[in-house]
Amino acid sequence: MLKKNPYIWAGLGLLAAGSLVFLSSYFILLITWLTALGICMLILSFIFLALGRTIPKLSPEVSSLLLETGISNIATLVEELGIKSKAIYLPSTITNGKPQALIPLHVNPSPPTIKEALPQRLIVRYGANPDDIGLLVTTTGTTAVSMLEVKPGPTSTELESALTSLFTGLLGVADRTRVITAENHINVEIYNPRIENKTTWFHECLGSPLASIVASVAAEAWNRPITIKQEEHHRGRYSIELEVLG
Amino acid sequence: MKIYNSYILTVAVLLLLTTIILISFGQNSLDVYYTIYILEALVVTELYVYFNAKARRGLNLVSAILFGGFLVIVSLRVIEILA
Repeated sequence: MLKKNPYIWAGLGLLAAGSLVFLSSYFILLITWLTALGICMLILSFIFLALGRTIPKLSPEVSSLLLETGISNIATLVEELGIKSKAIYLPSTITNGKPQALIPLHVNPSPPTIKEALPQRLIVRYGANPDDIGLLVTTTGTTAVSMLEVKPGPTSTELESALTSLFTGLLGVADRTRVITAENHINVEIYNPRIENKTTWFHECLGSPLASIVASVAAEAWNRPITIKQEEHHRGRYSIELEVLG
Repeated sequence: MKIYNSYILTVAVLLLLTTIILISFGQNSLDVYYTIYILEALVVTELYVYFNAKARRGLNLVSAILFGGFLVIVSLRVIEILA
């Protein structure tokens, strides 16, 4: 059974109109160019129908509702605890499953190297000092990484390909990305992003949704903890600077 | 789904432009029209590398159907020549 969405309706409309034009011009009117136009319409109808089948059932509004609800709960938690430190995005090898973000409860300019896998809990101890306690949370990046078909490699090209595939092909939130790596720094530029950037306490801590996705993918690609150093939005270009830790 | 719209728009514009150009050249063979159409559709589909896996599968099926049509045309031509 076909899910009815604008692509399916357009496909069915073109299929009916294309068949009519093709058959009438080929068998009755005997006009070649009109027959060719009918073929064009049929080809486009097949494409519409093929793509229409891949449109998710959930509307963007419902997805936004679920995302906002999830983010709002974590934001409340972060603000109530008065956390001011930047989140550390961890790869799945450190979190025992999926890439997550660790929000240290205390600001530490030189966080300890996380060598052992952290337990799957909300409050975790990640170092030897008594202050080395943080919140291990799931972010938008966690879910986004699971959408990738293969784990990306650490080179600029591989990371760029994974991010473009994610942002352009799967999520449709940007036109393209560019990645430049230099030692322990990764600079990512996202062209024409279509996600609203907010400057709330929560976003200061975890970064914007785009930065969160980039940091999670990069952490998974490099298999090392990563923090968001800087974010900047300038004329349709969103620049994110990441620092690889440990 | 901006990538879908961009892809469909590209294919539609290319097919229409091809039709206009071939009409202006006085082309009267339907085989030529169809062969150029499927070539363009296949090339554009290959250029859009960032489609998700499900969309890629669907478009591969469309490509197979179009290629099947091309094989039918070639077979008819061969039969015509042999006969």
